[in-house]
Amino acid sequence: MSLLEVENAEVAFPTARGLLTAVDGVSLSVDEGRVLGIVGESGSGKSVLSRAVMGLLPRSARTGAGMRIRLGGRELGALSERELRRLRGREMAMVFQDPMTALNPVMTLGDQIGESLRLHLGMGRRQARDRSVELLAAVGLPQPATRVDQHPHQLSGGMRQRVAIAIALACDPRLLIADEPTTALDVTVQHGILELLKAQSRERGMAMILITHDLGVVAGRADEVAVMYAGRIVEQAPTRALFAAPSMPYTRGLLASIPRIEDAPGRRLEAIGGRPPDLVSPPPGCAFAPRCALASDLCRRQAPELTAGGATRFACWHPALEAAE
Amino acid sequence: MADVAAPLPKSGVAAVEARHAEAIAAHRRRRRLGPVFWIPAAWLVALILAAAAAPWLGLAPPDEIDWMAIQVPPGSEGHVLGTDVLGRDILSRLLHGARVSLTVGFAAPAIGVGIGLALGLAAGYFRGWVDEVVGVLIDAWLAIPGLAVLLLFSAVFGGSLSMVCLSLGLLFIPAAARITRAQTLSYANREFVLAARAMGASDARILLREVLPNIIWPLMAFVMIDIPIAIVIEGALSFLGLSVKAPTPSWGGMIAEGREHIEGASWISLIPTAAMFVTVLSFNLAGDVLRRRFADTREAAL
Amino acid sequence: MPALLRRVGRLAVVLAVVTVITFLLVAALPGDVALDIAGADASAEDVAEIRAEIGLDRPLVVRYLDWVSGIVIGDWGQSWRTGERVWDAIVQRLPASLELMLLAQVVAVSLAIPAALLCARAPDGRVDRAIGFLAFGSVSMPSFMTAVLLILLFSLTLGWLPATGYEPLSAGLWENLRPMILPALSLGLVEWTALMRTLRAEMIGVLQENYIALARAKGMSDRRILVVHALRPSSFSMITLLGLQVGRLMGGSIIIEQIFGIPGVGRLLVTSVFSRDFMMIQGCVTFFALAYVLVNFCTDLAYARLDPRVRGFGGKAGAHG
Repeated sequence: MSLLEVENAEVAFPTARGLLTAVDGVSLSVDEGRVLGIVGESGSGKSVLSRAVMGLLPRSARTGAGMRIRLGGRELGALSERELRRLRGREMAMVFQDPMTALNPVMTLGDQIGESLRLHLGMGRRQARDRSVELLAAVGLPQPATRVDQHPHQLSGGMRQRVAIAIALACDPRLLIADEPTTALDVTVQHGILELLKAQSRERGMAMILITHDLGVVAGRADEVAVMYAGRIVEQAPTRALFAAPSMPYTRGLLASIPRIEDAPGRRLEAIGGRPPDLVSPPPGCAFAPRCALASDLCRRQAPELTAGGATRFACWHPALEAAE
Repeated sequence: MADVAAPLPKSGVAAVEARHAEAIAAHRRRRRLGPVFWIPAAWLVALILAAAAAPWLGLAPPDEIDWMAIQVPPGSEGHVLGTDVLGRDILSRLLHGARVSLTVGFAAPAIGVGIGLALGLAAGYFRGWVDEVVGVLIDAWLAIPGLAVLLLFSAVFGGSLSMVCLSLGLLFIPAAARITRAQTLSYANREFVLAARAMGASDARILLREVLPNIIWPLMAFVMIDIPIAIVIEGALSFLGLSVKAPTPSWGGMIAEGREHIEGASWISLIPTAAMFVTVLSFNLAGDVLRRRFADTREAAL
Repeated sequence: MPALLRRVGRLAVVLAVVTVITFLLVAALPGDVALDIAGADASAEDVAEIRAEIGLDRPLVVRYLDWVSGIVIGDWGQSWRTGERVWDAIVQRLPASLELMLLAQVVAVSLAIPAALLCARAPDGRVDRAIGFLAFGSVSMPSFMTAVLLILLFSLTLGWLPATGYEPLSAGLWENLRPMILPALSLGLVEWTALMRTLRAEMIGVLQENYIALARAKGMSDRRILVVHALRPSSFSMITLLGLQVGRLMGGSIIIEQIFGIPGVGRLLVTSVFSRDFMMIQGCVTFFALAYVLVNFCTDLAYARLDPRVRGFGGKAGAHG
C-alpha cells in the first residue's frame, strides 16, 4: 500500500466565462520514501492537484464526487476539517513557490517554525526554540542562533526558501509537497535548494512530490516522473526511462527544449509551438492535438486514455516506441 | 457555501455546470436594485412629499399651543402622534421639522461641493502657488472642529435656515475640494486636454468641457454620502439650540425638548429620534446601493 | 530632513491661518462685551473705560498680533468673566476630555476588532452581511441620539448608571469610570464602524497572501490564523485611522460633554460661546486645532515606524502635510 493514493481527482472552478476544469481525472500514488516529480506547463493543473491533496482548495472550487485521496490508508475526504488540520504540517507538509511572500513579515523566523512544533508536538517555548535553531542549521542557514529572532525581510530569497523548508520539515512529515520551490529563485541558488530537498528526503525517509515546469529539475532527483497536460496525466514513468525513451510527443518536446551543455553554441532552443488549451471549453479529442506534429484525425476526435497500470503509462495514439534521438 | 470545497451530488462535471449556471443567475439578480433600495427610497419619497405638503395637510399649526391637551400620548383623538409639553401636535411639528432637515440635508452638501469643486479644480489644474494656498486653507479649515465653527457661526449670524445651510455647507468644502483636486490632477494631464489646448481652447473652456464631465461622478457619490451627514449635524445643532430658532420646529430641537420629560412622556423625544434614524438610515442604504450599482457599470465601461 | 522641515513649516502656516480665522470669527460676535461687564445701567464713560481696560478699543490687527504673540510664549490671555487664565482653564479641564476620548476609542476598538475578524473570515457570508447592516445602523445614529437613548435605558429605566456627572480619578477608579461609561459608549458606538470597515478590508486582502496559505498548510486553525497571523499585518490602516479620528472625536466630545455634564474643554467652549467670553473661545478653538494638527502629524510619523517594511519618510506625505 502506498503512502499517498490519489484516485480520479477532479477539480473545477466556476468563472465568468464558464466552468474551468483544472484537474480532470488524475490518479497517482507515491510510496514511502520515494520522490515523485510532476512536470507540466502553467495551467496544467499540477498546483491545483497539490492543493487538493492538502485540502487547501479555495472555497469556490468544486471537486468530483468520485475523487478519493488516501494518506497512509486514511480517506482524507471523510475527515472533518479539524482532523485534516491535525494532519497538515504534521503528516503532510508543503513548500510554496514564492519565498518572498510565503513567510509572515511580522513574525520572527523562530516563531514561524516553532508554531508547528508547539501546536502539533506540544513542545514548550524553550524546547521549540532550540529545535528551531537545529532545523535552521539542518537546512543550511548560517548563524542559526541569530537568525531565529530575525524577520523575513532580513533574508535573501534563497535563505527564505530554506526557512520555508525548515518550517515544512519541523514535525517530520511523511510526505512533503514542494510546489515549484525554485521557480522564483536565481539559477545559482536553485541547485542548493533542490539538493537540500533531496538530501532531507533521503535522510528522513520522507516521501516527496516535486512539482515543476522544468524537466531538468527532476532529473537525478525524482524516482518517478508524471507529466501533466490540461489537467490530465499524459505520461508517467521511472525517471531514467522517461528521459531515455519518452513516449508522448509532448514529453519529447519538453525534453528537446532543455538546453544542454554539450549543445553547439548558437543552437536554437526548440520550443513547443502553440499555446495551452482553453480549459473552459477544451477541444474534443486529445488536448495536445492542436500543437502536435503527429496529430491525426483520430487524435482530434477522441481523447486517448492512459494505458493501464505498470511502471510506465502514457496517453497517446501515436507514441514513439523507439529511443529519443 | 461550505468552508471546505463542497462535494457534488453526482459525479462528473455536468452537475457542476448546473450549479454554476445558478451562480450566474444569482449574480444577475444582484444587479437589479433590490428591496434594500426600494424600501428606503419609498420612505424618503413619502417623507419628502409629506414635508412639502405639510402646511396644506389640515394639521394643527406646529406652533399652536394648547394648554388643554398637553402631553397627550400618540394614538389619541385629533393627535395621531400625540402632543408635547405645550400641547403642540407632534405630527405637525415632525413634518415641519422634516422640511428643515431635508432642506439642510440637500442644500448644505450642494453648497459645500459647489465651492469645493471650484477650489479643487483651481488647485488641481493650475498647481503651483494656487495649489499651496488652497491646500493650507483647507488644512486650516479642517483643523478647527466643525462644531466649534458652527457654534460661532450660529452665534454670529443668528438662526435662519439659510444661515444654517450656508455654515453647514462650509464644513463640506475641504473633502469636496480634496476629491476634486485629486481627480483633476489625474485628468488634467491626459491627452485629450492637451489636444484641446492645442486647438486654442481657453483654460475655462477646458475645465468646463473636458475635465468637469469626467470628475463629476465621484463628486456625486460624495454628495450622496453627505446628505445624511448633513441631516445628522443639523440635528446635533438644533439639539443644542443653535439651529433655526423657535418656534420653527426641528428634529434635534424636539429631541432636546423631550429630554426633560423623557420619563413620563418619552414619545416626545422618541418619535423625532425614530424619524431621524429611519431617514438617515434610508439615505445611507439607498445611497450605498446606488453607488455600488453605478460604480460597477462605470468601471466595466472603463 | 528637508522634507521634515518643510512639513513643520507648513504646519506652522496652517496654525497661523487657524488663529486668524478664529480671531475674525470671534471678533464678529455680536453683542458688546464691555457693556455686559459694566452692566445695563452703567454710564457711557464707564463702558468706554472698561473697553479700554480689556483692550477692545484697539484696531483689529493690533489685537490679533497681541493675542498671537501671547500664545507663542504661553500666555493665552484671561477670561474677562472669571479672570481665570485661559491656559490654566484649558489645562484643568483637559484630563476629563482626554479620558472621554480615550475611553471612546477603547469602546470603538473593542467592537471593531472582533467584528472585523468575524467578517473577514467569511466575506459576503451571513455574518458579514449582518454586521454590515449593524454598521449602517450605527452610522445612522448620531452620538447625541445614542446618548439620549442610553440615558433613557440605563439611567432612567434601569437605574444602573448615572445620567450626568464626573468624578476625578482621585475619588477612586470605579467612581471615576462609572459616570464615563455611557458617554464613552455614546461616542464609541459611532466610531467603531469606520475602524471595522478599514480593518475588514485590509484583512480580507491579507488573508489572500501566500503566508496565510502556508499557515493553513501548517495545520493552523482559522481562529489562530485570524488572530495571530493576519491581525498584525492588517492593522496598519486601522491604527492610522485611530489617530486621524481624534479630530472627529474632539468635535463629537463637545456635544457629549454638554449632554452628560462632563467638565471638559468642549463644555468650556460651549459655555464660553454662550457667555461671549471671547478670550476663552479663541483659546479653546486654537487648542483644539493645535491638538488636531499635532496628532495628525504624529500619526503620519508613527505610521512610518510601525510598519517594519516601510523605510524612510514620505509614505503618506500627501495626506495631510
